[in-house]
Amino acid sequence: MSTRALLFIALLALIIGALAYVRPQLMRPGELPTNAELKIGITQEFENLNPIVMSMVATTYVYRMVGRSLIQLDEDSQWLPQLAVAIPTLENGLARRVSDGEREWIEADWTIHPQASWGDGEPLTCRDFRFSWEVGLSPNVGVPNIEIYRQIADIRIDPDDPKRCTFEYREARWNFNRHHLFYPLPEHLERPVFERFADQPEGYEQHSNYTRDPTHPGLYSGPYRIVNLGLGSHLILERNLHFFGDPAHIDRIVIMLIPNTGTLEANLRAGSIDMVSQLGMTFDQSLAFANRVQAQELPFRVNFQPGLTYEHLDLNLDNPFLQDIRVRRALVYAIDRQGLVDALFDGLQPAAFHNLAPTDPWYTEDPQRIVIYRHSRRQANRLLDEAGWVWRDDGYRYNADGERLRLRLMTTAGNKVRELVQIYLQDQWRGIGVDVRIQNDPGRVFFGQTMRRREYGGVAMYAWSSSPENNPRSMVSSDAIPSENNGWSGQNYPGWSNARVDELVDELDRAFDEQERLDLIHEILWHYTYEVPVIPLYYRSETSVTPINLTGYRIPGHQISAANHVERWRLMDADEMARNGSDAP
Amino acid sequence: MTTGSMSTGGMDAEVTGRQVDHEAQSMTRILLEQFLEHRMAVVGLSVIVLFLAVALLAPVITAVTGLDPDRQNVFNRYQPPGSHLDLSTHERELRVQTFLRQADRSDLIRFLAGQDLLEFAVDDEDLLYELVTQHAPMDLAAMLLELQDRAPDPAGNDLQALRNLVADFRSFHLLGTDELGRDVLIRLIYGTRVSVTVGLLVAFVSGLIGLLVGSLAGYYGGRTDAILMRFTDALLSLPILVVLIVVSAIDLGKVFGGTPLAFIVESRHESVIKMILILCLFSWMQAARLVRGSILSIKEQEFVLAARVLGAKDRTIIGAHIIPNVIAPLLVAVTLGIGNAILFEAALSFLGLGIQPPTPSWGNMLNNAQEMVQHAPTLAILPGLLILFTVISFNYVGDGLRDAIDPRSIRR
Amino acid sequence: MTAYILRRLLQTVVVILLLSYFCYLLMTLMPGDPVDEMIMANPEITSADIDRLRALHGLDQPVWVRYWNWASSIASGDLGYSRTYRVPVTDILGPRLLNTFILAGAALLVALIVAIPLGVWAALKKNSSADYVINLFAFAGISVPSFWIAIVLILVFAVYIPIFPAGGTGSIAFDMTPWESFVDRLKYLVLPVLSLSFLSIGTYVRYTRAAMLEAMGNDYIRTARAKGLSWPRIYLMHGFRNALIPLITITALSFSTLFSGAIITETVFAYQGVGQLVFESIQSNDFNVAMVAFMISVSMVLLMNLIADLLYGVADPRISYA
Repeated sequence: MSTRALLFIALLALIIGALAYVRPQLMRPGELPTNAELKIGITQEFENLNPIVMSMVATTYVYRMVGRSLIQLDEDSQWLPQLAVAIPTLENGLARRVSDGEREWIEADWTIHPQASWGDGEPLTCRDFRFSWEVGLSPNVGVPNIEIYRQIADIRIDPDDPKRCTFEYREARWNFNRHHLFYPLPEHLERPVFERFADQPEGYEQHSNYTRDPTHPGLYSGPYRIVNLGLGSHLILERNLHFFGDPAHIDRIVIMLIPNTGTLEANLRAGSIDMVSQLGMTFDQSLAFANRVQAQELPFRVNFQPGLTYEHLDLNLDNPFLQDIRVRRALVYAIDRQGLVDALFDGLQPAAFHNLAPTDPWYTEDPQRIVIYRHSRRQANRLLDEAGWVWRDDGYRYNADGERLRLRLMTTAGNKVRELVQIYLQDQWRGIGVDVRIQNDPGRVFFGQTMRRREYGGVAMYAWSSSPENNPRSMVSSDAIPSENNGWSGQNYPGWSNARVDELVDELDRAFDEQERLDLIHEILWHYTYEVPVIPLYYRSETSVTPINLTGYRIPGHQISAANHVERWRLMDADEMARNGSDAP
Repeated sequence: MTTGSMSTGGMDAEVTGRQVDHEAQSMTRILLEQFLEHRMAVVGLSVIVLFLAVALLAPVITAVTGLDPDRQNVFNRYQPPGSHLDLSTHERELRVQTFLRQADRSDLIRFLAGQDLLEFAVDDEDLLYELVTQHAPMDLAAMLLELQDRAPDPAGNDLQALRNLVADFRSFHLLGTDELGRDVLIRLIYGTRVSVTVGLLVAFVSGLIGLLVGSLAGYYGGRTDAILMRFTDALLSLPILVVLIVVSAIDLGKVFGGTPLAFIVESRHESVIKMILILCLFSWMQAARLVRGSILSIKEQEFVLAARVLGAKDRTIIGAHIIPNVIAPLLVAVTLGIGNAILFEAALSFLGLGIQPPTPSWGNMLNNAQEMVQHAPTLAILPGLLILFTVISFNYVGDGLRDAIDPRSIRR
Repeated sequence: MTAYILRRLLQTVVVILLLSYFCYLLMTLMPGDPVDEMIMANPEITSADIDRLRALHGLDQPVWVRYWNWASSIASGDLGYSRTYRVPVTDILGPRLLNTFILAGAALLVALIVAIPLGVWAALKKNSSADYVINLFAFAGISVPSFWIAIVLILVFAVYIPIFPAGGTGSIAFDMTPWESFVDRLKYLVLPVLSLSFLSIGTYVRYTRAAMLEAMGNDYIRTARAKGLSWPRIYLMHGFRNALIPLITITALSFSTLFSGAIITETVFAYQGVGQLVFESIQSNDFNVAMVAFMISVSMVLLMNLIADLLYGVADPRISYA
């Protein structure tokens, strides 16, 4: 009997093994999607779409389809007005510096697009912005980032035309007009809720129409509106008939949440979704999928776009080993960054020299202005020899006290790409005699505790993603070193303190001349690369998979989502595909 | 293998035989025969012994084959089974570095520098590094072989050593490579160590805890029994996987920091130790209930009453009468528990909450593989098959043990 | 009898209360809180923002105060507000519970339909080759990692032979007739149900076989045989009926564990059930959702235990609750 059972096991193993070896053949997921419907897969959770309290990345992505902000950043990193008619600047005379002798501030005239309206036809005016600002400042509303509202001291609405208003800013900063995160709230729907629950903690959020009646068309101002909201499952969007811009081409967009990346890909291949957004596949998976699309001529396009997300290593300058600048430089020299991005990312995520991304107008890789470390293990070894770290037979370096050159390398657990890079780095540093111990915390511990309290002993790997032309103050200023005294605020986790840099970041805010700003930021970058408090690794690329007949789609190289221009997306039919070829713009 | 277990059984029989009476010897033999009659249990035991042997011999396998579970080859990721691959240039350079540090190789370098092996000029210091990275290992080996006859001693000896070094620059990967170009086979072997260790330790320790709690509750009864058993029941009613997910998110560093147990956090195997601790905490309840149950039934039997009447102490009664009668069912439960512990470890690691990389375990290998399942299916299939085979083997052995000790199933 | 039930009920309530505090404590031992989740999503949040939000959410208070607030709002019938989704817990939990109930129920049904005949057959043909194969199948069922069987099913039936959707709960479409949407739901259910039932088939086959063997060894079977009753009558009326009692108990008990047992299946298949919700809510520190789900799960287990005990009394006259 047992021989039969054994045979059975063997047969089972054989079948499974055979299935594993037979590569699945070309599978066309039915027909190409049409303008009638586009189904997009995402892997991250979203919450309800109240723009003022939303904090999840996926919600921000979706919100761009249904709501607009005052200004926007286009795919080429140019600032453009969105709900506003024009962006006020000092040069165009719509903004002016005002002083009462004691302090200086800025006033700017904003005009809302004359046709802009909410999905129920109610005109969208400065009142909606003023209301949003009021709600944002309420102590009982859980706004994630209050600075958006706090920088405005007052909003004065033109009594004759509610579409026109003047913003009074608290301070005179050159970047006062960057209101890409300032969203209006429909005052005609939300004011009564806010007044009723304003004195209750979280009362407004819990009773808002965005929570209680999320399909009300009046809540949305974008090219689409929500017709069905299944939290944790899906969203259905249909064209907003009152949208003030060009009407969208696609009738209906369905967004499906599929938390498991493997399942997501299977769904794409099976045709139950047509497209995977930036919040979908992991980078590794996208690479493999791109190869497969090519090999099997699948009707998809895999898009890669280097972004502003900057992956780097913070070196804890409290660590006695890392206080020696020679050790820090040796660590940089020992990393083959180009090799890393070539090997792990097929070169599709660019290696980094400093914290600014190539898409940032402030970017430079001029060796006159910054210090560039080209990979050289020999140089790294020389620096460590110099610093008194000697090899022992176990393949590691030791100092005069007999301590091994051991560093702890931490990152967020569960992020596969980071874990791959981490193991790669461990290997590279072993080559110069550094013993690297890997220890990872779950994301919330890593950011909430380990980094915030600077409890990482040696090296920490994570990413920043900031808007272009952003003042790096919170990462480099010595005021931004988190400590008990400043209530653990700031993100200068390496603990880097440089008096000149502190001056420079202050000057940067007040520099209204573009060339002056450029010179200031480049000087900061020089100090940053010379002293190596941080080892730059690479810039993350956004990836997405789109059906081959989708046009008008581009991933922007910054954190404002591709969905910002959703009204331009169009699905070509077979005839047009044949006319234009598959690479139509 | 079968002979192995038979001899152990025989020895036990001898010991007990001498101490108690003639009857016990034949009893043990009956049990053994019963067990051997359960074919699948014997097959299972063979599989387990095989896996254990492979796991124990993992370092030997590494030494013999030169495969290292941590060695990467990032330009050769996701290679299919049966690939011959060149080592990464980084790894080659590292080996040259060791080669240079082992002895003074200046004669060899001087000799090779005159042979015009590179298309560009390099410092002597860098020559060997450039040689091994610029040329594919096979080509380099051929070049060096040609030079061998012309090399004067002592450079000739060093050249021989260099050739041996270069010959090892190729590796064979029976089951292919993973997301970092590491050998899958050797990682599976090291994964066996982790998974089986976790399974065995958890089952053993939770068996001990269960024995302690169960026998206290069963023997003393009354309030002790009520409190202990309500506690056990309460723990049993918790959704175990959910609790494990919560508990494994707790940071041991914060719990043990500053205590004598802090060494656990410092150790390289923190996540393994943590896994074992957590699983032990939440898997002893069944054993405790079982032990209590058997003690309650045994306590009322005549021979215990007789012992008590004859004035035996608690300790004697527990030790001589109750424990031996409880051990057999407990042994079955522990064996079955091993499989469960392995499954839980795999599930948690699969969710990314268990054994942390780079330590390989079957569960976390599956976690890494699942998103690439359509591109590299072997990576996902193999660890799962191993889990299945191991757990099913332990379950069959448990079943065999149960049949063997169950008085109703004794066939003479 | 009534006194016994009352006493047991009281005990159960006390245990539930204690466990709820224990679970709450466990949750707070997990590092980080909902605000930390926000930090990860938005690097521009300042520390002042963090403190403001913590105070707003009451996260700066000691555990027992927070527990007390939570427990008293539960007692007043308010299940709270999900921090992740920013909606009342009932809104998000209700549909998920239904989905899980459908999945778990279907899996249980399939498992019983497959397992009971197999178990009975194995018991009647003890030590035959059929018995061996069924046993092997059952052992494989209890030994296979649930996530792996799910992955293999997806690989085989959604990728290599694409006949079923790889995951999800149903197609998202407006214009389906009730019949179409029913068929659609069924298609999405097949793979998760298969993977979930494969695990329980193993358990049920083994229980059925053991119970049947036990029942067939009883004296009354011998009596029935001696009376010359027909074989089906012996097996079904006398054997199987008596084997049913332990089977009912184990089914009742497994109802309660299906709730948490579906976590992994739901996660891999991206099925919008409560198990996946619980996993997500623990991951994102969504206390209110996780605690409610915890409590439902624990109460179900304890209640089913109680019912199983009482059922024993009804089914077996030898047991009485004096």
